[in-house]
Order: sequence, then C-alpha cells, then structure tokens
Amino acid sequence: MIGVGGSDWKHYIRRKPHVVKRRIRKGIPDCLRGLVWQLISGSRDLLLMNPGVYEQLVIYETSASELDIIRDISRTFPSHIFFQQRHGPGQRSLYNVLKAYSVFDREVGYVQGMGFLAGLLLLYMSEEDAFWLLVALLKGAVHAPMEGLYQVGLPLVQQYLFQLDQLVKEHLPKLGEHFTQEMINPSMYASQWFITVFSYSFPFHLALRIWDVFLYEGVRIVFKVGLALLKYCHDDLTKLPFEKLIHALRNFPDDAMNPDTLLPLAYSIKVSRGLEETRQEYEKKNGKEGKSPEIEKQLE
Amino acid sequence: MGAYRADDDYDYLFKVVLIGDSGVGKSNLLSRFTRNEFSLESKSTIGVEFATRSIRVDDKVVKAQIWDTAGQERYRAITSAYYRGAVGALLVYDVTRHVTFENVERWLKELRDHTDANIVIMLVGNKGDLRHLRAVSTDDAKAFAERENTFFMETSALESMNVDNAFTEVLTQIHRVVSRKALDIGDDPAALPKGQTINVGGKDDVSAVKQVGCCST
Repeated sequence: MIGVGGSDWKHYIRRKPHVVKRRIRKGIPDCLRGLVWQLISGSRDLLLMNPGVYEQLVIYETSASELDIIRDISRTFPSHIFFQQRHGPGQRSLYNVLKAYSVFDREVGYVQGMGFLAGLLLLYMSEEDAFWLLVALLKGAVHAPMEGLYQVGLPLVQQYLFQLDQLVKEHLPKLGEHFTQEMINPSMYASQWFITVFSYSFPFHLALRIWDVFLYEGVRIVFKVGLALLKYCHDDLTKLPFEKLIHALRNFPDDAMNPDTLLPLAYSIKVSRGLEETRQEYEKKNGKEGKSPEIEKQLE
Repeated sequence: MGAYRADDDYDYLFKVVLIGDSGVGKSNLLSRFTRNEFSLESKSTIGVEFATRSIRVDDKVVKAQIWDTAGQERYRAITSAYYRGAVGALLVYDVTRHVTFENVERWLKELRDHTDANIVIMLVGNKGDLRHLRAVSTDDAKAFAERENTFFMETSALESMNVDNAFTEVLTQIHRVVSRKALDIGDDPAALPKGQTINVGGKDDVSAVKQVGCCST
C-alpha cells in the first residue's frame, strides 16, 4: 500500500481513498506513523521540491523570535523524556524547527502553541521532515491552511470557537443551554484544542490517534472529537455549576480519553454541513461575504 | 443548586486577572496561591487558565475567581475579553528580566482600556529568589507603582514568598472598595447576589485609598 519510501502511495490513495480513510481511522501502526504522516499531509512533496531550504533557514538566517522560542523550549512537553534534557537533542531540534518556521514566515513568526505541534512531530520524524509538515499544515498543502490560528488577531481561533459554540448548541442542545446559563464560553476550554490540535494536555496515545485522522481528513476531526468528549460526559456536565464545569472541561476522565471509545463516537458525529453553515454565518457576522468589496463593485 | 453551595459558601466573589509578559511566572503564582504548588516543569499557558480560592477578609469570606492569561502579545486577541468585569489585577513582571518591567506600562494601558477605573491593581515583581540575577531594583519598581497609583510587592512563587500576601492584599483592597461603596449607597453588602462578579464601578474612586504596599527586601 505504501511501497518503498512511499513510492506506491499516490497510486493507491487515488484508487482506494475509502480504504485508506478506514484504515487510518483505525490508527496508523506506530512504526509507520512518521512516514505515513508525511505522505498524507503532503509534506514529503514539499521537502523534495525544496532541497537545502531548511538548512538555509536554520543556519544562515536570524529570527526576531529567537528569545521567545528559547524561553518556551523547556516549557514544551516538559515531562516527556525526549524534551527533558536541557540543550539535549530534543530541545535542540525543537528550537531549530521553530526558528526555521519563524524565518520562513516572518509575518507569523513564532507563536506559543506551535511548539506542541512541532514537538509531537519530532517524536516521529527528523527536524527537516517536521519543519515541512508544519509548513504543509500552516500553508495548506492538502487541507485549508491553518496559519490563521497564529496570525495577528488569531482569526482562525476565533472562527473555530464560534463554530464550536454553534455546533454544541445544535448537537447537544441541553448542554448548550446549560453552558449559556452558566456563562461558559468555548474560549474557556477549547482554545487549546484548536491551537495545538489536542497535543497540549491530552494523553499522547489519544493525541496520536487524533493526529492520524487530522492529517488525512483535516480540522473537522478536531470538532468531532471535541463534540464527542462533550457528548460522552454530557450527563455529568449538565449537572455542574460554573467553576466545576470549567474544571471538568479541562480534566476529562480517563475512560473518556480512551481512543477506542472516543474516536468511534467522534466518527459518528456529522459536522460537515454544520461547519459550512457556521463558517458562512461567522463571515456574515464579521462583514466578510466571501468576496471582497472590490469584486462586488466589479460585479455590479 | 443549593447542594453545591453548602461546601462553597462565601460572602463576596471577586474576579481577578493575572497578566504580564510570557514566562514571568503567572501560572506558578496562581498554583502557589490556590493549591500551594510550584512546578519547574510547567507548560507555557495557551489561552486562559482558571482557579479559585476563598480567604477571610475581616469577618467576611471572599472568594477569588482568578483568570491566568497567556502572556504572548498575540494572545491578547483572546485574553483581553477576560479583563471585562475584573475588579482586581496582578500585573506581573520578572525581576531578572528588565524588558518584562519595561512592558508593564503597556500592560497597564491595556488593563485600563478594558476595565473599570476602580480596578485594584497590584504590580508584582516575581522570581525574587533569583537574587544574583536581579535586573530590576525594588526602588525603581516602587517608584513606578507610586507614580501609576498601583500597589506593589515582590514575590517568589518558588519560595512561596509574599504570594499569599499579594493576593490577599488585592482582595482586601477590593473588599474595602466594595464595602465603602455599599455603605455609600446604603446597601447591605451581604445581600449582594452570589455567583456574580461584583462591579466596583461608579462614583467611588478607589485610587483615593491606594498606597504602595510593603515589599520584601
């Protein structure tokens, strides 16, 4: 299915996309994860098309974010053995990837949260591979670009939080009503879900399974998993007052974090239509109609 | 609803925010105050965190609902929404990094743009345990606090120095403002609704009672 170095991959994925989707949803074998992630995210192609670029960014360029990055290095997965050693290989790679990205896109630069993406990737691939996967995600090689999570104003975070709010009300009306009454807002619990794609505070074995699907299917799975968590804990959550609710939303019980329970529940939740509608609603609310005023003028 | 209030009884609920540059120790100040914990291996805060603690001020139980915010400037797009309704703020800098003290002015402006004029602000110089690395003198910070009419304290979340004092002082001052205001309008402070943040806004001016708090040297 994959072939040596991924050579058969493109052929296979074109012929049997549903087989690939089904098998990825069951979890990518750990020994293949690094390679498959690079194939499904499109980062392998970016790497091959840009030889020497990463080295250039790491060695010859300087970044305005260097101090910010250094300060966060020891605060990224601090209890993971790979990143624990001060100035060890894990921390050095993490620094290089983040610095390279902050030079690659100076406008975005370095934003807290990126380190968790890069850190997770570095557990499965080399620095250069991790860098290109980060580029593939943020610049949108296969799916919609995610750089809006990190741009000034965090526009995509705001949009996703709005969409999640609406989806909770649609899929879990009783909980949505309870959230409204207790004045719970998604930014109180879900910012990290989007900004770090569940890698910030969720157990690795769950985060990895989410990432398998995320890289193949896109950000939709983040909404699905979020809704599945809320659904799984629904009856408890609807009983809790504000403070306990916030605590519960940041500390889901172990049984809820079991990928073999949570993910099938997530797959069963349909969000495509809801995401499209809420995106349009959000854009309308924020004065964007999908086309710029100039284009509208020309159309008149 | 009544069931959970029983073990959670308080007279006042105050919303307090923790702000300041990234890496100055806001999250550890919060965990030290609310759980008496400190971690050298803490993650950088993404978005906002939340914790509470109740303390006794005079003869009243005051509950602090504390929002800890990500320090990186880009995150203000999310975090500034949390300033709304805050009646107290701990504006934290790192005594070993002068730039974090220089940025206090911008944080102060941010705070004053988004909150009520009567908010109680405490300037907090954290990491006081790193004596050999000190880059901001106590006198400079004290002078700044006096000029800006904020309270001031130096703390160490690691050594648990002055952390309780800093929070307690903020809560005491808020309580003072609220009771004075309640007295002015002839209201019973104990009758204020629970579960809601108390607004200290209005004609009363908290700056009149502000003075620079003590600080450790």
